[in-house]
Amino acid sequence: MTDATTEQTSRFDDVSLRSLGTHAVLYGVALLMAIPYLYTISRSFQPRRYLTDPQPYWIPPEITFDHYQYLLTESLFVQWTINTFVIAGGATIIILVIDSMIAFSLTRLDWPGQSIVMGVILASFMVPYYMNIVPLYTVVSDLGLVNSYWGVILPAVASPLGVFLLYQFFRDIPDEYEEAARLDGFSTFQIYYRIILPLARPILASLALFMFVYNWNAFLWPLIVLSDESAYTLPIGLVNLYQGNITTPGLHMAVTVLASLPLFVVYLFFQGEIVRAVQIQGTGTTG
Amino acid sequence: MGLRNRFTTGENERAQQTVFGVRKETVEGIAWSLPYLAVFSVFLVWPALKGFYMSLHNWDPFVPSESEFIGLENYIELFNDPVFWDAMKGTIYFVALSVPLLVLLGLGLALGVNKNVKGKTVLRAIYFSPYILTVAVVTLIWSEVYSEGYGLINYYLGFVMSDPPGWLTSTNLAMPALAFMTVWWLVGFNFVIFLAARQGVPERLYEAARLDGASTWRAFKDVTLPQMRNSILFVVIIQFILQFQVFAQPFVLTSGGPRGSTDTLVYYLYRSAFSQHQYGYGAAIGYVLVMILVVIALINFKVIGTND
Repeated sequence: MTDATTEQTSRFDDVSLRSLGTHAVLYGVALLMAIPYLYTISRSFQPRRYLTDPQPYWIPPEITFDHYQYLLTESLFVQWTINTFVIAGGATIIILVIDSMIAFSLTRLDWPGQSIVMGVILASFMVPYYMNIVPLYTVVSDLGLVNSYWGVILPAVASPLGVFLLYQFFRDIPDEYEEAARLDGFSTFQIYYRIILPLARPILASLALFMFVYNWNAFLWPLIVLSDESAYTLPIGLVNLYQGNITTPGLHMAVTVLASLPLFVVYLFFQGEIVRAVQIQGTGTTG
Repeated sequence: MGLRNRFTTGENERAQQTVFGVRKETVEGIAWSLPYLAVFSVFLVWPALKGFYMSLHNWDPFVPSESEFIGLENYIELFNDPVFWDAMKGTIYFVALSVPLLVLLGLGLALGVNKNVKGKTVLRAIYFSPYILTVAVVTLIWSEVYSEGYGLINYYLGFVMSDPPGWLTSTNLAMPALAFMTVWWLVGFNFVIFLAARQGVPERLYEAARLDGASTWRAFKDVTLPQMRNSILFVVIIQFILQFQVFAQPFVLTSGGPRGSTDTLVYYLYRSAFSQHQYGYGAAIGYVLVMILVVIALINFKVIGTND
């Protein structure tokens, strides 16, 4: 009896000790990952003389809004934000519409050649986006889309990711819904708009948020196709500002904070949807 | 799939409807696919094919019709180009540093959080958060952390060593520094996938393993890993593909230096095409990149395998 109790206590200690270790490691990593954020935010409010001091100040000894003020009034920051918003928002809306249409057609309608079409779309996943940039640039340039919103939006819209995700989801919707609707005299458009889309609302929301974040952050392609400073998106403008004023750390930190703010707000409210979009890609299940 | 196997009266009537002698459903199916297929063809399929054509030419960016056909000469030149091989070495080094860490750290964090820990939502939110930053923001933040004069790391290193190194100015350290920064940025992507995959493993498998007296390690090796195989395969392949295309980190922070130590293939492709206007050469680099990635994907399939 006594033996059993001792054994139980020691096993309990063992478990809680290990659990303590797990907590320490997990929270330690979280702290390390958060440090660059805290440092950046703090520095964005510090006057220049503290920033070039070798000693870092975690809590600003003196607060200034100069860097933010400069960005909002003296730079093209506002223009860049508008550009990014239009491009990321426009691409997302078009992706939702045309990807859901083709996914609907491939899963709910029956026509010859649809499996070949899906095969080609799947195979295009093997084409790394970046290898395409040189020929893509000549195509976009021939169409006269360099330095335009469309020059960034259309190549982004060609991505097969949304088609693939929606295809998987639409395929698993039971046929019964649709059969009942057909008997009630629903047209194809009504089935798409009133049956399939409402059922797919959660995955459409995930796809929309993921695509918005993805296109907000896109770097290489906008860098190539947008050469006019007033046409830049935020990521390109940021780097341009950085490379042009290499010695103004306060400005870099402030622009970092401002440029990330919209996405952080989105993340705060829709974390679940964004994470789910990633998880669906990686586990192939919509559950 | 589709409406093929259904023989209700309504379906039969529908299937017989025609437009100009073509089944109505066929017309609809194609019409509904057309908007995406148009964009897909023009901005993805066509460039992929055109790229191969361009790579066989001494491409004239200003008068494309004047481009001279030179066969495989771009590829031959590439294989004799020392800068290409330096960029290749740099890329492989970057991949070798970042991919294992991205996968293992992502897996470790996921298995840890899956345990009975407090504050799972907070941990998940923090681990995933850098993923939503643009690479431009990531590089700017870390330029401050790595800075030689007033950087965060070197200030604290200054307490334990007299002469802390320049992280981005040393040929030995610049690439590891870029890789570490990349792990910070992207590990959350792998983490959430592994977490979902681990949560999808049926708990009864672990109970069965426990009844068989399996140790924690055995349960991990015989239950967790095989059950998560598809997700591990996905993450490994996607990370190889993404990290092989590393561009922005050296472009912003080091310009490929010091002394070419952080040059990469996509960065070289970018310079060839958009600084030196050698479009055919750039397209050839793109095609070599694709072939490498296809081989890597096939190797991964062979080594890791799938559950299906």
